[in-house]
Amino acid sequence: MVRIKNRYLLVNILYPELEKGASNIEIPDVISFNQPTTNALNAPTLLRGIRAEVAELFGDYGSGAITSSLAIKYLSPATSTFILRVSRDHYRIAWAALSFMNSVPIKNGKNCVFRVVRVSGTIRKAEEEAIRRAKEIIVKARREAGEKGESTLDNIFGKTKDGPTESTKDVLMVDGSGSEEEYMSDSDG
Amino acid sequence: MLYDLNVPWTPSTPPADLLRTISFLTSLGYHTLALTHSLSATAIPAQISNPIPSTLSPLPANTTLLRRLTLTLSDPTQNHRLRPSRSLRYSSAAPYDRKGRFPFHWKPKPAMTAVARGVRFEICYAQATGAGMGQEQRRNFIGNVVGIVRATKGRGLLISSGGVAGDVLGVRGPADVLNLLGVWGLGRERGTEGMGCNPRGVVLNEGLKRRGFRGVVDVVEGGERAVVEQKNKGGAAVSGSGAQGAGKKEKGKGKRVAEQDGADGTPISKRQAKRLKLEALKAEKQSSQSQKEGGSLKDAMPLKEKSTLKESDTPSTTKEKANG
Repeated sequence: MVRIKNRYLLVNILYPELEKGASNIEIPDVISFNQPTTNALNAPTLLRGIRAEVAELFGDYGSGAITSSLAIKYLSPATSTFILRVSRDHYRIAWAALSFMNSVPIKNGKNCVFRVVRVSGTIRKAEEEAIRRAKEIIVKARREAGEKGESTLDNIFGKTKDGPTESTKDVLMVDGSGSEEEYMSDSDG
Repeated sequence: MLYDLNVPWTPSTPPADLLRTISFLTSLGYHTLALTHSLSATAIPAQISNPIPSTLSPLPANTTLLRRLTLTLSDPTQNHRLRPSRSLRYSSAAPYDRKGRFPFHWKPKPAMTAVARGVRFEICYAQATGAGMGQEQRRNFIGNVVGIVRATKGRGLLISSGGVAGDVLGVRGPADVLNLLGVWGLGRERGTEGMGCNPRGVVLNEGLKRRGFRGVVDVVEGGERAVVEQKNKGGAAVSGSGAQGAGKKEKGKGKRVAEQDGADGTPISKRQAKRLKLEALKAEKQSSQSQKEGGSLKDAMPLKEKSTLKESDTPSTTKEKANG
């Protein structure tokens, strides 16, 4: 019995644009590129956005080819990462649609860039890559913040003026980093 | 090492936006970027000066910034100061048309001849992926890309972002761009070439034309210091005459001092010294032969090298210099 072959795309949502009402605090670029996504983005809305883009680019053929296999396996707004499952024969269609998307597919979504980080045949490898990347980003952010001064990170996380929802998400992110460190130490020892 | 040779720049671009674009490109993995200033061939100012700032203040590490001028030329008779053969030879990157479809059919033969001559076709993908791009334009762009790829069989392409100045949203990661072009019919290998090898070739060639001697020998900056270093190395390599003579002089001081006498303080074993001596003898013999054969090569050498190095060493050193 031949199994249905899939591809798992690990995708990062990046925010390259400068904020309009930029605050006085200088945020390192790594952090602002990888900032958390709104909680309004959930798996069904994201899926709908991708399907609409595929339909626009590839018409009925494209949407028909991917419709049965397209699924979101993992979505983490805090790290702006998701894992997309597509059938192996047509994963390029979904990928091309992702590169043509310019904003988060919700109402008044922020402008963003979808970057496919890893294409793998099993979800396990995609997960491992996601963890590795998250660690790398934290290290990078620490380094950049360290160059600018000790208290910069506290400044960023303490004084953001984007409202209560944003700040709670930041706290979530900090917690996430802490847990990942624990995970790291576990794996080492 | 990935190249993006078309980061649009205008005098009115805010430096913050530009820096943001550069930083984003660097984080995506492009490390050599060229800021582009565009002029149309009909309105070239009499005095051309370079308005692009040579350095930007907080540049990310490992990023090389180049500056580039794009002339949009649709008819060689538009400007008498540009003679077609010359301008084509010197501007290796033929800029890609912005809006609209090309009014002609891309024929393989002229396109391939141009590629073989060193002309490169540039594909600026941000004109399709950018934020404000309409459906019509996207269609035209894809049609143009397919035409060019078909005519050139994917050879001699430069893939760069380019789009609207100060717009970061059109920029995509290298893998994304390759996938997109793959969907449109460009093979993965050719696509990688268009981001790595081809732009590198353009940058190096143009640099060599400006800095080098007759486009063959490149004079690397800080060459004098390099020559001094090579002189020392040469002394060590030809130690048959130089280093051993010094050893003889110092023989009275004892064994230890003689042992430590090497290229830069590192000890040389007797066996190694013997081998080096033999090699030097062989090289001298060869040089005496080659002196009879080739006099033309010597003429191309810069004077300094001639004076400091033995003639047997010069061909290899010039090769090194030309390579890097």
